[in-house]
Amino acid sequence: MKKIICALAVLALALLFALPAFAAPPLLTDEAGLLSAAEAAALEEKLQALSDRWDMDVAVVTAASTQGATPMEFADDWFDYNGYGRGENYDGLLLLIHTDKDPPGGWISTCGRAVGVFTDAGIQFIGKQIKADGLDEGDTAAALDSFADWCEKFFAQAETGKPFDEGSLPKTSGDYARIALLGLLGGLGIAWVVTKRMQNSLKTVRKNNQAADYVRPGSLRVVYANERFLYKNVTRVKRETSSGGGGGSSTHTSSSGRTHGGGGF
Amino acid sequence: MPALLEYKCPNCAGAIAFDSASQQLECPFCGCSFAVEALKAMDEDLSTQQALDWDAPAGQWSQGETEGMAVYACQSCGGEIVCDATTAATKCPYCENPVVMRGQFAGALRPDAVIPFRLDKKAAKAALEKHLLKKRLLPKAFRDQNHIDEVKGVYVPFWLYDADMDANLRFKAAKLRRWSSGNYDYTETSTYYVYRGGKIGFDRVPVDGSSKMPDELMESVEPFDWAGAADFRTAYLAGYLADKYDVDAGASRERANERIRSSTQAAFAATVTGYDSVTPDGGCVNLLGGTVRYALYPVWLLNTAWQGKKFTFAMNGQTGKFVGDLPMDKGAFARWFVGVALGAGAAAFALFYLIWPWIGGYLP
Repeated sequence: MKKIICALAVLALALLFALPAFAAPPLLTDEAGLLSAAEAAALEEKLQALSDRWDMDVAVVTAASTQGATPMEFADDWFDYNGYGRGENYDGLLLLIHTDKDPPGGWISTCGRAVGVFTDAGIQFIGKQIKADGLDEGDTAAALDSFADWCEKFFAQAETGKPFDEGSLPKTSGDYARIALLGLLGGLGIAWVVTKRMQNSLKTVRKNNQAADYVRPGSLRVVYANERFLYKNVTRVKRETSSGGGGGSSTHTSSSGRTHGGGGF
Repeated sequence: MPALLEYKCPNCAGAIAFDSASQQLECPFCGCSFAVEALKAMDEDLSTQQALDWDAPAGQWSQGETEGMAVYACQSCGGEIVCDATTAATKCPYCENPVVMRGQFAGALRPDAVIPFRLDKKAAKAALEKHLLKKRLLPKAFRDQNHIDEVKGVYVPFWLYDADMDANLRFKAAKLRRWSSGNYDYTETSTYYVYRGGKIGFDRVPVDGSSKMPDELMESVEPFDWAGAADFRTAYLAGYLADKYDVDAGASRERANERIRSSTQAAFAATVTGYDSVTPDGGCVNLLGGTVRYALYPVWLLNTAWQGKKFTFAMNGQTGKFVGDLPMDKGAFARWFVGVALGAGAAAFALFYLIWPWIGGYLP
């Protein structure tokens, strides 16, 4: 661990000295080589525009291995020691894609203002989306493009003062399809019940299989009552664990001493 | 040959009929009214009278042709009344005078009781009007063009079964216990056999004894209130139609048994309490003893035809309970279905949209 940090620190220092002080680090680092040159250029341009628009660094790094560190440590250190983050609070976030498992895993590390923009639930939501949008199938370019699009939406939502969080996550097209299907089924079900009742009101002639009207009052006498135990069955169902517990962003302190938010998927 | 019975007004000799409103016999000609009991003596006088002996026309009918038919001569106008062999009271088609076929109630055929009509023809027509209200799928044309072809007050023969039942029943019942431990929710289901034995009595379970009356229709106008029953007097029948039974007590018993058995089951099942579910699981229900009685119950029948189909309505002549199936407007059904589906669908969409953050995670 220390070795990596040292190596990164040296790299950071080297960069710091090699480049003019105002030059920002590249927002895309494709260590694992998952993108073509054209894809990388397009994505970097998009990330740059995004970062400038919201004054927050939006960085992406792909790595073949986290080199013994946890994805959280790796992502936090990459962010801290490469000089990402804008302003005195180092506002920004970094998406790490690590291909040491199949399908690839991811970690989003947030810092400064980005901690509030990307809540725990929000990070899980983005993770789910980019996995579905290509990460699981090996189309990293599409997944990262989707990541940039979602970041845009999250920034815009946070501007309103109510960032996406537990219970207020954005709806995907799949969600809309499911809501529409449920609405359709609900409508058909209710229509069936209502018209069935109308139809039933037309029918008043029915067989009466009971003679309850003719029971002699007080004639029911139970002279023998008994119960015999037969058997017992126990079934168990795993309880749905309520995730988050109210939403918000949880934070931790990275090796550099800065406060980060984040989450993996 | 059976004789006809016609009640004549002691005042003007006009034919008199039972009036449901006053519960007396009324003369439509001179306006006099007479208590049923007062005419009891007259009933007895009449019963001593000799039956008129008519010679059957020789060789006019081929064999089997007259089966199920009866011919009477009206005592007022002499007109010939041809009717079903089971008809017990009717009107003369020529002079409209109400007549009662006395022979239909002689000896073993004499009903034990009668529940007189309490509601008149006007009430039956008003009940039909009301019956057609608030039926959204009823074709509008049916309501507007609804001409009742005929309204008949009929005394329907019923067999009444009194029964004492002995039951030994078994039920399968389950108790549930739920608790949580660790990450799991547990449900424990304890299953028991529950036994119930005992007795229950039924009074006057009715089964209609007329093959002409649809059983479903008659079971739908039940129940009749026995408190309104009176000893049988033919005078009650004057002015109405009446049938004698043509399904005997033995044949009708099966239907009574079915109903008594299922109600016995239900009554004992209701005593099995303290469980989360109870289902019948066999046992036996036996008849300890039973008696059968024969009674006439009052029913108004209304017939109408619409688009070549016959619709029959029935009203309980004592309580006013009105039944009768109505036709459905398929176009209206489709319009309502689509309209409700659209409205409810939009509401359901909005609801799911709002609660999605809480339920979305539980759906595939």
